[in-house]
Amino acid sequence: MKIERSSEWEEGFIKKLDHLEKWDSWTLYKMNYDIVKMKLITDFTGLQATKYLPNLKPLTHQLEAAETVIERMNGKAILADEVGLGKTIEAGLILKEYLIRGLVKRALILAPASLINQWIEELNIKFHIPAIAYKKNVPIERYDVLIMSMDTAKKSPHKERIYEQDYDMIIIDEAHKLKNHKTQIYEFVQSLKKKFCLLLTATPIQNDVFELFYLISLLKPGHLGNYDTFQSAFSASKHDLEHNDYLKELVNQVMVRNRREDTGIEWTNRRVQIVPIQFTKEEAEVYDLLGTLQNTGSFSLITLRKEMCSSKEATALTLSKMLEEDNAQSQEVEAILAKLMALEVNSKANKTLEIIEQAQDKVIIFTEYRATQIYLQWYLHSKGITSVLFNGKFNKNKRDYMKHLFKEKAQVLIATEAGGEGINLQFCHHVINYDLPWNPMKLEQRIGRVHRLGQEHDVHIYNLAIANTIEENILALLHTKIDVFEKVVGDLDAILSNFKESV
Amino acid sequence: MYPQQVHSYLRQFFTENDCYIVGEEHHYLTVQLTVDIDKKIMNRPFYWQYVEATNSEPNPAQVTFITNQTASAGSLYGEVIHFGSPRMNQLFQATRELGAYVQMYEKVDTAIGQVILTPWLGVNYKVSYCCDRTKEMLYSFGINLLTGIIKEDFHETLFATELDTVPAEHVFHVQYIIKPIRGLQRLDAAIDAIIAQDDHSWATEAKKRWQRDQRVLDYFYEDVDDKPECYNIEKKALEEQYDAKIKIEIINGGLFYLY
Repeated sequence: MKIERSSEWEEGFIKKLDHLEKWDSWTLYKMNYDIVKMKLITDFTGLQATKYLPNLKPLTHQLEAAETVIERMNGKAILADEVGLGKTIEAGLILKEYLIRGLVKRALILAPASLINQWIEELNIKFHIPAIAYKKNVPIERYDVLIMSMDTAKKSPHKERIYEQDYDMIIIDEAHKLKNHKTQIYEFVQSLKKKFCLLLTATPIQNDVFELFYLISLLKPGHLGNYDTFQSAFSASKHDLEHNDYLKELVNQVMVRNRREDTGIEWTNRRVQIVPIQFTKEEAEVYDLLGTLQNTGSFSLITLRKEMCSSKEATALTLSKMLEEDNAQSQEVEAILAKLMALEVNSKANKTLEIIEQAQDKVIIFTEYRATQIYLQWYLHSKGITSVLFNGKFNKNKRDYMKHLFKEKAQVLIATEAGGEGINLQFCHHVINYDLPWNPMKLEQRIGRVHRLGQEHDVHIYNLAIANTIEENILALLHTKIDVFEKVVGDLDAILSNFKESV
Repeated sequence: MYPQQVHSYLRQFFTENDCYIVGEEHHYLTVQLTVDIDKKIMNRPFYWQYVEATNSEPNPAQVTFITNQTASAGSLYGEVIHFGSPRMNQLFQATRELGAYVQMYEKVDTAIGQVILTPWLGVNYKVSYCCDRTKEMLYSFGINLLTGIIKEDFHETLFATELDTVPAEHVFHVQYIIKPIRGLQRLDAAIDAIIAQDDHSWATEAKKRWQRDQRVLDYFYEDVDDKPECYNIEKKALEEQYDAKIKIEIINGGLFYLY
C-alpha cells in the first residue's frame, strides 16, 4: 500500500535543534494537540460536516440523503428529491463532508445562470465554503470552488480553461438539462473527470426513459448497460417499457429521491384539478380554420393550435410572421387573421378571471407565451385586478423586486415558462396553469414554486384545458409520461389532477 | 466546540501570542492583534505587501469576535466566530504553526536535592487511511534518548508533569546518546509497525468497489475497439476515487527532559 509522509516537520525540527529558531510555546503546543484530537475523524462512516455547521439545521431526510450518497453510492449520485425539499442543502452537506475529510480539494458547480448567485450565497453563508462565480478574468486556478453557468462552460475558450483544471468533484444543478446526449453541454460534461459527482434534478425523466439512461450514463457509464443492451433488456421504447421493477432497482442504486410525504414533515395538501373550458362558437371556428392551413416553413400547425388555445394575441403574432415570409397561403392566412382579430371573447381568460375572483387571494398564472402574458395583464387590469409580470430573463434584482411587488402590492403574478425555476413563493396558494406544457415535469417545477417547505396552506392547482382541441391530446400525453416516470423513478405528487384517470 | 470553549480558546490563543485584550464579556472579546498574528489570521496579504513596499507604519487590526451570537443582543459590531467558521480554521492553522516544536524541562521539587533529567523525544502523529472514505488516528510516542525505550500515549502522560521552558538551577540533564533525528526515525518505524499490524479490510473493500465500477465502465465501452478519451478519463477518476493510501503526518513534537 502507498504510504505518504511529509518531511516538513522534520526539517523544522532540525532548525530548532541547530538553534536557528526559537522553540514554541508549551500552551500553544497543547492547544494544537487538543484541536487535532477534537477534529479527528475516527470513523469511515458518519457525517463530520454537521459539527462544523452549528447554524445549519438540516432536516432528517437531508442528512440521510448525504449519508446514503457517501456511504452507499460512493459519492456519485443523482439527487432527485421532489422540488422544494432542499437538494442544494444535501449537495452542500456532501461537498462539505468531502472537503473536511480531505477527499475533495477542488470542486466545480454548474448551474443555470439564474441560480449562480443563490449557490454562492448558500455555500458561503450556510456552509462556509468559499465559492466564487466564474468570470472571464477570474484566475480560476487560485480558487478551489468555482460556480459557473452551463451555457458558459460548454463554450470555448471557457471549456478549455475548465479542462485544464483538476476538479475532484462536479456538481450539476438542474441536471435534466443534460437529458439530450447530442448537446454541447452533454459532451462537455462527458469529458470532465468525475471522481465525485452529483446531478441535481427533481425531474430525471421529463419525456421518456432514455433521458434517464443518458443521465446515468454520464454519472456511471455502463450502469444501465450501453444503449443497445439497455434498449433490448427493457424493451424500451419512448413511452413504454418492460421489466420496470428491475430497472427501478438499478436506478435506485445511484439515485436518492425523497418525496414530500417521506420527510416526516407535515405537508399541506395539493388540490389539483383539470378545469375544462368550452370555446365560443367564434373561437372554435377560427381554431378549425387554422387546421385547414398547410404545414409550412418554420411555423407548425401544432404551435398555431396551441397558441389559439392561449390567446388571439399569441396566434396573431405567428400568423403575421407567416405573412412576412413568402407564403403561398397568404390569402387564407389573412382571412383567418381577420376573423381572429374580430374575436371579442377569450373563454380561457374569462375562466381565469372567474378562478381569481373566487380565490380572493394571491394567484400565479403560468403561460407559455409572452403575448398571452401581456394580454392577460391588460385584461385583468381592465377588470380591476393588479398583476406583475415575471420571466426568466430578469436578472436577480429584478426578480427580487417583482417578487416583492407581488407579495406586497399585486394580486396576480403572470409568469412565462422560464420563470418556473429558482423563485420561491410560499406566500401564494393558487397556481393556474393557463397553458399546458408538453412536459409534465415543467408542471411539477411550476407547482414547486409554491408547494415547498414553508407553505402553510393547502395549495390549489388549476390546469386549464379547452375541450375538443390539441389540449386534450396534451393531457393524454402528459398522463402517459407521468406513468413512465412513476414506473421507473417512483411516485409523483399530483400534477394533473388528484384522481388517476385512464386515458 | 461550544461557544464557551471557543471563547476560552480565543482568549488563550491571543494572550499566548501577546495580543492585548482590549475588552471582554462572556459573549465577545475585543483584541488588538500584533503584526504577526494579523498576517496569520486576517487574510490580507495585499495590505501587508503594501506596508512593506512603502515602508509605512503597520496598523494591525483590532477585532471584536462575537463568540455567542444568541447572547449578543443589541448593536454589538463584530465578527461572529464559531467552530467551523473560516476565521476559526485560520486560528487553528495558526495554532498548528505556532505550536509545533517545544523543548521542555520537568520542574522538580528542590527538596529532593540534586536531580538528573533524562532526555526524551516526544512526537504526535496523525495517520489517515484514505480511499473514497477516510479515517484518522492519533498516536503519541516518546522515545528515551538514552535507552531507546518507546512509550505510547506519551502526550497524555505529560499532563501529570509540570514542565518549564528552562531547567531549574540545581537540575542537570544528560546529553542524549541517541540523536533526536535518529530517535525520530525509530518512532517512524514504530508507526509503520503499528500500521502493518492493523486491519486493512477497508482497503480491500475499496479495491472491490473499484473493480466493480471498472467492470461496469468496461461494459459500457465493450464493443468499442478504439476507446474514446472519456473512457480513459473515467478510468483515471476511478483510480483517484478508490485507490487506497495511508498518510502519515506529524502534528507536533519536541524534546522533553524528564525526571
